[in-house]
Amino acid sequence: MEQEAPVGVNEDVGDAKPGFSRIAPAVGPLLVLAPLAALPLFGPGPNTVRLLFVTLTLVTASVGWNLLGGFAGQISFGFAVFYGLGAYTAALSINAGIPPVVSFLMGAAVASVASLLIGLPTFRLKGPYFAIATIGVSEAVRVVMMNVPWTGGASGYRIVEKGRFFQMHHYYTALGLAALAVGISIIVRRSKLGLALTAIREDQDAASDLGVNPFATKLLIHALAAALAGAAGGVYARYAAYIDPDGVFAFRNGIAILLMPIIGGVGTIWGPVIGAFVYGLIHEEVVANFPQAHLLIFGSLLILIILFEPAGVVGLSNKLMRVLGRERKD
Amino acid sequence: MSAADLLNLFIAAVLLAGVYAAMSVGMTIIYGVMKIVNLAHAGFLMLGAYFVFEAYDRFHIDPLVGVLLAFPVFFFLGMGLHWLLIRRIATSDQPTLTSLLLLFGVWLVLQNLGYLIWGNSDRAILTPRTLSSFEIGPISFPTVRLVVFGAAVLSLVGLELVLHRTWFGRSVRALMQNNEAGQIVGVNVQRTAQVAFGVGIAFAGAAGGLLAMLYSFSPDFGATFQLRAFVIIVLGGLESFGGVAVGSLVLALAETFSILVLPASFQPAIAFSLLVLALIILPDGVAGLWNKRRRWV
Amino acid sequence: MPPILSVDRISKYFAGLAAVKDVTFDVEPGGIYGLIGPNGAGKTTLLSIIAGSLRPTGGAVMFAGNDLTRKRSFGAARAGVVRTHQIPRPFRSLTVLENVEVGLRFGHGSHTSHAPQAAMQLLERVGLANSSRRLSALLSVGDLKRLELARCLAAQPNVLLCDEVCSGLTEAESAQVLDLLCDIRRSGTTILYVEHNLKAIMKVCDRVIVMNYGQKLAEGPPQQVQVDPAVIEAYIGRPTGN
Repeated sequence: MEQEAPVGVNEDVGDAKPGFSRIAPAVGPLLVLAPLAALPLFGPGPNTVRLLFVTLTLVTASVGWNLLGGFAGQISFGFAVFYGLGAYTAALSINAGIPPVVSFLMGAAVASVASLLIGLPTFRLKGPYFAIATIGVSEAVRVVMMNVPWTGGASGYRIVEKGRFFQMHHYYTALGLAALAVGISIIVRRSKLGLALTAIREDQDAASDLGVNPFATKLLIHALAAALAGAAGGVYARYAAYIDPDGVFAFRNGIAILLMPIIGGVGTIWGPVIGAFVYGLIHEEVVANFPQAHLLIFGSLLILIILFEPAGVVGLSNKLMRVLGRERKD
Repeated sequence: MSAADLLNLFIAAVLLAGVYAAMSVGMTIIYGVMKIVNLAHAGFLMLGAYFVFEAYDRFHIDPLVGVLLAFPVFFFLGMGLHWLLIRRIATSDQPTLTSLLLLFGVWLVLQNLGYLIWGNSDRAILTPRTLSSFEIGPISFPTVRLVVFGAAVLSLVGLELVLHRTWFGRSVRALMQNNEAGQIVGVNVQRTAQVAFGVGIAFAGAAGGLLAMLYSFSPDFGATFQLRAFVIIVLGGLESFGGVAVGSLVLALAETFSILVLPASFQPAIAFSLLVLALIILPDGVAGLWNKRRRWV
Repeated sequence: MPPILSVDRISKYFAGLAAVKDVTFDVEPGGIYGLIGPNGAGKTTLLSIIAGSLRPTGGAVMFAGNDLTRKRSFGAARAGVVRTHQIPRPFRSLTVLENVEVGLRFGHGSHTSHAPQAAMQLLERVGLANSSRRLSALLSVGDLKRLELARCLAAQPNVLLCDEVCSGLTEAESAQVLDLLCDIRRSGTTILYVEHNLKAIMKVCDRVIVMNYGQKLAEGPPQQVQVDPAVIEAYIGRPTGN
């Protein structure tokens, strides 16, 4: 396992957690949730709602990935497989007449089961081999889904729902799921599970030497992370009403899901949320105005973050808080 | 299935293995010396393909000469990239997430540059060589494959010579075996790392050119071959050149003989499946198994 | 009284080379046992096997009647056999207190929920109470060694496996650590202690096991082992007397 300080840890903090992270737990959730919940009051256009809807599903997937990648330090490049499985499961389920919420749960469940099948053989692999394995699995599933006739294969799959389309309905579903995801994230972080995950991330063998079961712990958090990614996929699928393997299982989805927590601050509670909003907004702007420079912009962003502020937006703001705090003293 | 047909398939696999080996060796060098998994490898395969293509298309330079030219060009490109970005991140004797992500970012940038410069239509390099075939009795194969195989083998032999006859080669082997000990006896790690990175990229670019002689390509061309490179180094172990040869052969054989049983659309899945299977059965690659016999911690 | 720990013909081969070969000994409850030997004798390997970090090629490890041989280190820790590390391995992004909490909440002990008082008590015992809120990444070597001990004690081991606890410490610091070990033994924990510092061993141990080339060379009270000609030869490299 890696011996360096994990990406995202500020080592020049003498005592634990100043500034941002102390205020955030109390005020943060409200500041973020209130305007989002009261959205109709601002009279947004359908395009804005769509943008926020997609961003909120991204928040869920991002927060989910962070449980495994940020808290446990296990970097998976293949989360598209859970997103896609959730999408297809929910789609099949809704078409079979099962109510949407149950369908989303089923999507989450299928993703969780898949995570166990994937995690069992792959978690004993070291660093780069694990990353490579997750890429391999994700792509393998995509190729298989392209060739499976009863879900439409490469032509994709359509969801037919009776009744009118209420955009706000979908929006609030995504908002609720995102809030749930963040809530789960906070609970895990403060729990015994969270302590185990941090220990495993820092030094898996030393953690094991003290009684932490790394295998069971990682499988558990993997299942939780996959469930969230799967639910996000399901919610998205219902909105889009059409999904195809090259869309939901795309490798770039797995990358996006990984990129968001890194932009915002991997391993923190709000980092994935911030990262999702940043990614969602940039993605929208870029696709609208510079469609050809999409990868260039995200690639450069990733490079800059890795080189100059691996702790992401949260790390940057922590540093800012410390600088401001010091100035106030003088 | 006659014996001649089987022999044909076998030879086709061997020819393919040679190219695959040349394609993967670049990653092995970089990983061995710096413990960095070069996710941008695909991008340089792609650039190499387009380099050789442009040389042929605009300047009528024979693709083989183009490949030869690619070595120095991409060598300096690699050293430059190392100077610009890679040397700024901390390396350790364990692979790091930081390096993984940094090089992934580089790959995204390269891919986009490819799209911007060349668009996303497929290109191909067609020379008289492409269409002719070579025959010995009942065995025949396309001349171009033989030529490419020859070039690949030559470059690998060249690499072997460099590794065993030059100061650089000695430094590389020292660092690959034991990074700390290498530093203690005076190996200049920074310099060796920079040169190693250059060599790794040089092989990526040249291999890309070789592959371009065999397949059509577009800016996301690197991805499928990158995955094959992964499979090869997993099968062969990330740090062993002999392992790369073994891995290349296994993959090439699997892919070539799979045509007998699977439809073409499943071809990419072979690499993936082999990858996943290999990782499950051999967490340290085939070479890891071998090393366990010879080395003790 | 039956031995609390039984090492029975333990062997470990790495690629054909024997790191540990056919080692057998018993550890009585409440004792401090020293494990010494020249470099490369296999002491740390043996310790790792007992702790569950390494699987033996052959033989068995019995602890209080339970077979620990196939258990991984978390199984051994939960059963009551916990080890320190020669080079300290703190959880760097956690504070000193949080490091100890890991031991408290996952080890052999009874605390599963947040237990800051128990953690502080342990820190006081090793002398780290003032640094409880410090990030463990910032501690000095000496303090890191103390944190190792505190963390292991938090897991409430019946058998504590110490790996060169005094290396890298000054005379004064070593003396403090040794006093701590005696204190730990007094509270009922059995200690198996790998060490290079022979003075420390002689001062503190009830019995000493000597290893060389992976095999047990001698066993007995420190004074007896000290004058055993085979042991002297192993350290110095030539036969004495005759």
